[in-house]
Amino acid sequence: MSLSNKIQDVFNEPGCGKNQGKQEKERKKGCTKQLQPGAAAGGCAFDGAKIALQPITDVAHLVHGPIACEGHSWDNRGTKSSGSRLYRTGFTTDINEHDVVFGGEKHLYRAIKEIIEKYNPPAVFVYQTCVPAMIGDDIESVCRAASQKFGKPVIPVNSPGFVGAKNLGNKLAGEAILDHVIGTEEPEYTTPYDINIIGEYNLSGELWQVKPLLDELGIRILACISGDARYREVASSHRARAAMMVCSKAMINIARKMEERYGIPFFEGSFYGVGDMSDSLRQIARLLVSRGAPEELVARTEAVVAREEARAWQRLEPYKARLEGKRVLLITGGVKSWSVVAALQEVGLEIVGTSVKKSTKEDKERIKEIMGDDAHMIDDMTPREMYKVLKEARADIMLSGGRTQFVALKAKMPWLDINQERHHAYAGYEGMVELVGEIDKSLSNPVWEQVRRPAPWERAAQDAAGMIRAA
Amino acid sequence: MSQNADHVLDHFELFRGPEYKEMLANKREKFEDPCAAAEIERVREWTKTPEYREKNFGREALTINPAKACQPLGAVFAAVGFEGTLPFVHGSQGCVAYYRSHFSRHFKEPTSCVSSSMTEDAAVFGGLNNMVDGLANAYTLYKPKMISVSTTCMAEVIGDDLNAFIKGAKEKGSVPAEFDVPFAHTPAFVGSHITGYDNVMKGIVEHFWDGKAGTAPRLERVPNEKINFIGGFDGYTVGNLREVKRLLGLMGVEHTILADNSDTWDTPTDGEFRMYDGGTTLEDAANAVHAKGTISMQEFCTEKTLAYIAGKGHQVAAFNHPIGVAATDKFLMEISRITGKSIPEAITKERGRLVDAIGDSSAHIHGKKFALYGDPDLTLGLAGFLMELGAEPVHILSTNGGKAWAERVKALLESSPFGRNCHAYPGKDLWHMRSLLFTEPVDFLIGNTHGKYLERDTGTPLIRIGFPIFDRHHHHRYPVWGYQGGMNVLVWILDKIFDEIDRNTNVAGKNDFSFDIIR
Repeated sequence: MSLSNKIQDVFNEPGCGKNQGKQEKERKKGCTKQLQPGAAAGGCAFDGAKIALQPITDVAHLVHGPIACEGHSWDNRGTKSSGSRLYRTGFTTDINEHDVVFGGEKHLYRAIKEIIEKYNPPAVFVYQTCVPAMIGDDIESVCRAASQKFGKPVIPVNSPGFVGAKNLGNKLAGEAILDHVIGTEEPEYTTPYDINIIGEYNLSGELWQVKPLLDELGIRILACISGDARYREVASSHRARAAMMVCSKAMINIARKMEERYGIPFFEGSFYGVGDMSDSLRQIARLLVSRGAPEELVARTEAVVAREEARAWQRLEPYKARLEGKRVLLITGGVKSWSVVAALQEVGLEIVGTSVKKSTKEDKERIKEIMGDDAHMIDDMTPREMYKVLKEARADIMLSGGRTQFVALKAKMPWLDINQERHHAYAGYEGMVELVGEIDKSLSNPVWEQVRRPAPWERAAQDAAGMIRAA
Repeated sequence: MSQNADHVLDHFELFRGPEYKEMLANKREKFEDPCAAAEIERVREWTKTPEYREKNFGREALTINPAKACQPLGAVFAAVGFEGTLPFVHGSQGCVAYYRSHFSRHFKEPTSCVSSSMTEDAAVFGGLNNMVDGLANAYTLYKPKMISVSTTCMAEVIGDDLNAFIKGAKEKGSVPAEFDVPFAHTPAFVGSHITGYDNVMKGIVEHFWDGKAGTAPRLERVPNEKINFIGGFDGYTVGNLREVKRLLGLMGVEHTILADNSDTWDTPTDGEFRMYDGGTTLEDAANAVHAKGTISMQEFCTEKTLAYIAGKGHQVAAFNHPIGVAATDKFLMEISRITGKSIPEAITKERGRLVDAIGDSSAHIHGKKFALYGDPDLTLGLAGFLMELGAEPVHILSTNGGKAWAERVKALLESSPFGRNCHAYPGKDLWHMRSLLFTEPVDFLIGNTHGKYLERDTGTPLIRIGFPIFDRHHHHRYPVWGYQGGMNVLVWILDKIFDEIDRNTNVAGKNDFSFDIIR
């Protein structure tokens, strides 16, 4: 299928309610908002594809393009691995002028050959970027040829940056593994408790905060797509009995198509927050039972939920008094726009706003449900508006990603990283305690007092001005 | 053969060779009557216990690894800050060689200094002849504009009277009668290098202001708008004084730096040897009496000097090596108050930049526990900045800090919840610190180069801030005062924190889950 057809196919996502609500013509235009030239924008489709698949730890991720693309995306997300570290090695063809004139296909082929000779990974993922796409390098043919020659999966990920934004790239990456990886191998054995977790990247090791509970219940993660994943796990993931979709927008196509092709039912859930974590465990148990797992799983799950909730609440209790009434501005996207809200409300924090720029209709519905109305939904907040909200002290802390970090800091506002570069893992019951602890630490950091205090000579000037006005 | 002319091994590698390993092992086994390895290990472990700590703190007579130097070192430090001034140490020459190498190893610059080379007969008959000959030789050989005389223990023990000796030498024509020879008694068995600094600084201003030991009329103070600035004994003097001059320049404050060592210990390599470079001119030193006020950056370095200057009618203010936002605010506000000059936009912007930086990075420092040691003022300045950043000082130790210092530290700690679990240890040494680090461990240690043994023994990462720094180069060129100085200190602390995170996550396949490029 050509790239443009593929993109159309991705846009036509029956699993997406928002998409289905559109007219035919609207739908063709696609779901990504046209970028506004001159306005600040997020990552490109290449970036989206790379971040979606990079967490597969034992494959070589080869970026076909000039140094810019891999140079900036190399090892830039804190996705953790319990085994191979190969995914953290930067592979790129680093194409040059000569390649642009004469074509880079041979260069790419040789690069694949060298990787296989030197590293012998279970597979090579080849990422297309703008320049080779424009000069017409056919990476799918090169990958096919290399795959035959070397007897090893060489997977083309055809998502050059110019086709759209990051989210589209996530989906195109999903298509690549649907087309070339999933269903190509068989698991050694299967159990009635096999699940896939889709759209979880094991940032800061968050998957590992959840996995012990699943282990305890006897539930096996057949494949996590793609956090801490091995190629073989993804390739044999079609034998799972059920799936959980974590990051709502990024990989819905994988979840839906696996349901269509292999009959794997899925639900959308979150590991953030005590309530959501419990719901997710219950849903997993329910789906597995509906697929034939013994009924007793439900009761065992309830027991674990009860125990863990009690333990989490007990550990959160000391924070409640300290955090009561503190106001939070949440700038993130997708599933986190509501799952974190619920989590924070649980400990008495007040949410003054949550951004919904990257959230789906379902996400927004959930927010409305949780927060009572939609007044707190912020659609596309410019840094200037963000600054204003913070500056006017309508919030006590902002939780966001690294790129908006500095807006908060300039507004002299405590800030906590909840996106990919964060250093702490916030998933599961453990993660919730950690998140609340981090918020508490941020709020109580004495630096803010110093940061907010004007220079003493300015204070004197203000006082003087005040006195003049008063007189 | 262990060495080979084509590939000569240096000491890092050479003695790791099998023949040396064998030789050293044999020597130990056959000739050294060694203790059993298990016994060594047992004692090593025992020194880490609270029981040992109690014995360690029970020490009365013995000092182990002191974090201080002697008065004469401070005396030389102050003297070389004046234009064309040759420090002349009345005493034995070996001491002087120490001061010179000590400064050279820290500043990577030569330090001019001579002694009267007292020997046994001088000790018996008094050092007058040495003073007479010494001043004459120093004057002829090195052509200084001023000779600043201080003493070593030897001269102090036999009780040489500098005032009388210098008068006598002048009468004998060693140096011209009008030639400036200020002096100060600086016995090493009293106080520390900061005391010596204080004594010589007072000696020099007193010399110029109070009639040059009775050879000239006292200066009549006619107050003007200038202020005097005294940096104190400071390993960062090169960077700090330049930074202070820049800040005062931005504020338009006319000033005299008393003992300006910034050029003395930072001469360019351009083919010319400068025995003396920069320094406070003698004229400025004399005219400093007319200033409106005098600022000391290090209270404990200038106790006598500042009291003397206050007696001349100056407004005086003393700080404790101010580092960080609040401390720099206070310093600048005081200058502003004394001079009536406002703080310009450019400085306000620098402040904003430091505020920005601590906001950006504070999460990494917040809650980290620190032990620190050093001179009294420096430890106070650093502790203030650490608490501002949300770090928790736990042990603050100063070998040359006394009761007054400990009181000051206590008051500072009580001003912040981050100082709650911290104690001040006046008069203690680095072996005490070793016990503290074993029994009440912290995340980081701040101190001078000597702290590297504590780092090795206790595994507490060392952030090198202080004097002397021998094993890292050029840090003395960076200021730690002013907002830009605060930035430097912040970066040094952060660099170590990040290095540690990397070091703890860098074993391939074991703990490198979090060996990340973004921190």
